[in-house]
Amino acid sequence: MALNNNRLKRVLMGTGALALAGLLSPAALATDAQEIIRDRCLACHTESSDAANSTFSRISDQRKTPEGWHMTLNRMEHLRDAKISAQEKRELIKYLSDTQGLAPEEAAPFRYLLEQDTNLVESGVDENLMQMCARCHSAARFGLQRRTLDEWQMLVDFHMAQFPGIELHAGSRDRPWYQLAHNETSAQLSEQYPLDTPEWNNWSKAKKVDLKGRWRVTGYVPGKGEFSAWMTAATDDDGRYNLKLEGNYADGAVIEGSGKATVYTGYEWRGTLTIDSVKMRQVMAADKDGQVMAGRMFLAMEDEIGGELRAVKDTGKAQVVAVMPSYLKAGESAELVIVGQNLDGDIDLGDGVRIDEVIARSKDRIVVTATATGTPAVNDVQVGSADSTVALAVFDQVARVDVTPTNAVTRIGGNGGEMEKVRATYRAIGYSAGADGEAGTDDDVRLGYMPASWSIEPVDEVAEHDKDHLYAGEITPAGMFIPGDAGPNPERKMSANNVGRLNVVATVDDGDSKVEGRGSMLVSVPDFVERVLD
Amino acid sequence: MKLTQMLKSTALVGSLGAAALLGAVAPAAQAAQEYLLTVTRPGHLQVIDMKTNQVERTCEVPGNFGSGSIALAPDGKSAYVLSNGMEDVYGFDIRSCDITFHAAQSTKTLKVKTFQSVAVSPDGKELYTVQNPFGLERDRFTVEQPRLAVFNVADGIGAQPVRTFPVDRRITKIATTVQGEVILGGGDVKAINPKTGEIRMVTPLQSWDKGPLWLPPDAFAMHSQGEQSNEYIMPYVTAEFTDESWNFETAEWWWGMSRVDLETGEAERVEMVPFEFIVFNFISHPHDPNILYGAFNTLSKHDISKKETVAVHEMPHTYYDLNISADGKTIYVGGASSDISIHDSDTLEKIGSIQLSGDMSTSDLRVATIRD
Ligand code: HEC
Ligand code: HEC
Repeated sequence: MALNNNRLKRVLMGTGALALAGLLSPAALATDAQEIIRDRCLACHTESSDAANSTFSRISDQRKTPEGWHMTLNRMEHLRDAKISAQEKRELIKYLSDTQGLAPEEAAPFRYLLEQDTNLVESGVDENLMQMCARCHSAARFGLQRRTLDEWQMLVDFHMAQFPGIELHAGSRDRPWYQLAHNETSAQLSEQYPLDTPEWNNWSKAKKVDLKGRWRVTGYVPGKGEFSAWMTAATDDDGRYNLKLEGNYADGAVIEGSGKATVYTGYEWRGTLTIDSVKMRQVMAADKDGQVMAGRMFLAMEDEIGGELRAVKDTGKAQVVAVMPSYLKAGESAELVIVGQNLDGDIDLGDGVRIDEVIARSKDRIVVTATATGTPAVNDVQVGSADSTVALAVFDQVARVDVTPTNAVTRIGGNGGEMEKVRATYRAIGYSAGADGEAGTDDDVRLGYMPASWSIEPVDEVAEHDKDHLYAGEITPAGMFIPGDAGPNPERKMSANNVGRLNVVATVDDGDSKVEGRGSMLVSVPDFVERVLD
Repeated sequence: MKLTQMLKSTALVGSLGAAALLGAVAPAAQAAQEYLLTVTRPGHLQVIDMKTNQVERTCEVPGNFGSGSIALAPDGKSAYVLSNGMEDVYGFDIRSCDITFHAAQSTKTLKVKTFQSVAVSPDGKELYTVQNPFGLERDRFTVEQPRLAVFNVADGIGAQPVRTFPVDRRITKIATTVQGEVILGGGDVKAINPKTGEIRMVTPLQSWDKGPLWLPPDAFAMHSQGEQSNEYIMPYVTAEFTDESWNFETAEWWWGMSRVDLETGEAERVEMVPFEFIVFNFISHPHDPNILYGAFNTLSKHDISKKETVAVHEMPHTYYDLNISADGKTIYVGGASSDISIHDSDTLEKIGSIQLSGDMSTSDLRVATIRD
């Protein structure tokens, strides 16, 4: 018996007609993308279909990020000799990450990798996975994938056939590596990162919010400082957004640029812009309502050089987005920039903070000088009736300084060699001691990024003996660490190269006292593999 | 029986008597001609006369550079080189560079890799490799059971295995005993009968039972070049923890080895010296089994009867392997770069060097002895 109209309707309602509506235009894309798979992939892969849908061998039983799909397609192209045009590849990456992507919660623990913030050392990785898998690449590489048990096992077998020495490397050969990887690690991965999850089930059905519109953006560009800007995203015919960005650095200098963005999986924002004539990339995740995006912006040519990026959608409502700087020392006055949208009405920085002068004021940016006359407190920053979750910390003393990145990896390079140096940029974050008066405890109050002077020192006696601090690199006044030259250094014992282990030290001036913070830095050898994902 | 084998078995009887004996027979050893063999990039088998330390002959090795693993025929006249990305074996007459043997192990649907494992039977008639096959299906790769492959040397060019037997994974260097067994160096050291495929345990390493305070050994033999002592060394690193807090800092770290006497097929396993620096290849002194030499960033000399490192010579760069003349006087240190560094075995002082036309990379450094 055929479905009559009524029953069809009920079925649709039951499975969520909304979701279906949301997917209507992607459905058109889907047929195109499936045609690309049929044309470009079925020389080696196979299609099986039942009435409802088609599945493709090896392709349909895994989910990954746009970068993850990009990496696989690169391998198909370069190692398997698949023929595919750049345009087809773009379409497939979009289709596959839309239909077989990661839910926001699934990608959340590993955003650093998507944000290409790769000169940090991963922490909290399961010991077994660390030893078996994360010694060649990041743990995020597989943390950002979901597969069936079969697919995890085929991934192991691919590693074996592609890198036949893998089971003989130090760290593998002291155990039956292949048997463990194929049986136990794969089973662990299929439990930890299974193909079917409630998160994905929900997200794939959820209605996705269009991210076009006007965004109030705040961020940081190494060497230039914090900025606030407007970014508009207008729909383009090719399914991407045209971007325009315009604003100011904290010192008033103009920041300006334009470019394009693609949104994958309904929330993964990937922008490429030319800003002040430098090509930069944006990687952000939108929240579920599509109202706030957060992530990182970095140099397209040098992923390591970048800073935080945050965007709040202009919905016509009044909203405070940031205050720069986010702290004020008790008894002192300073210039503060309040960033927001549709701002109107009285400025209130809390009890005990006096506004001395409004230097400049518009609906989206207010510059004031203010004096902290009261005692330390964390005050709400309010302008009229605007929404605000922004705070100004009034403090009496910087009790502790943290350095980010805390554990960094950089790489020697240059010197006529194949690989450029991999640098790192540092920032210092100040804290006050909080109510207990003791630094380093849970109630420390984060004051925000603070100006610091920078230096390096050997990490321990061995590093000191090897003079790592003299050879491994240097740090600029702006906190940019520049590693040493590649190649053997005749001045070093055994003509070693310029690798080393250092502390990077930030010194923050707080009135008459100086507060130091340290981060550790491994200056490593060049890494000759360039990857979509580390 | 090889002269060096005879020397070794007598040396084992008692070191004093052996020393005297050595003095007496050493001149006779000069009747044999020793050649040092190694492979350089992009693909040359270098045949070096150890009397003059000059390259006497350079044979072209077909195929992409593999790992430079070399196996010797017992008469010293033929050498078998692993080439073409560790997939093919080529046999050479080192007196003429004639290619006498070629086995291509891979097919269109099966990629076969050999990790160093090439050896020749004591009668010179059979060649053994350990094959690690990977199935190349259209949209997936599969990992197949490793196997010992037996070739007839007489089959020459285009040789195919005449027998295969399943073996463990992770096998690197192999060697043949006088009894005709093949020593398999993997996680454990085992021996296989290449007629029947029967396998016996020689030295348990991965599966040793040394108590919970010992770290499972990290055993690995990229090179095991025991031809001058007729032995096979599988070195390993282990550690003895002070207690069950497993503190790596306070643990005692050791170099150990399983050393198989290829005359008898029997092995000894010892923690020989404290682990102080990396050694990539150990060899024994041909006339004193208590003296070992090691190469990497240093050339080192160890007395295992005292569990001591007795001399260390800093090298100007990294070398991977080493070998020694039959008289035990001269050490050759090679691998990695393009120079072989020659040293006095007593003092470790450098006494010469041989410049080659290309880098040795991971290639073996072996001594072929021809007696005519
Ligand atoms: C010439 C043969 C060939 C073509 C054409 C080909 N593939 Fe593959 N594909 C393979 C092989 C072989 C493997 C298994 C080895 C590997 O993972 O690289 C594979 C594996 C895969 C995997 C699993 C990868 C993983 O990480 O587990 C995916 C996904 C995939 N292919 C997608 C595609 C897509 C999409 C196309 C078309 C654009 C394509 N392939 C075209 C041969 C091919
Ligand atoms: C010997 C180093 C090494 C080890 C150990 C290793 N990998 Fe990889 N892995 C690689 C390399 C190299 C690639 C890149 C392959 C390519 O070119 O696409 C890769 C790729 C991957 C990918 C991406 C494949 C794709 O196309 O989506 C995943 C996922 C992955 N590895 C997971 C693992 C897991 C899980 C383990 C442990 C069982 C592991 N790796 C162990 C080197 C390693």
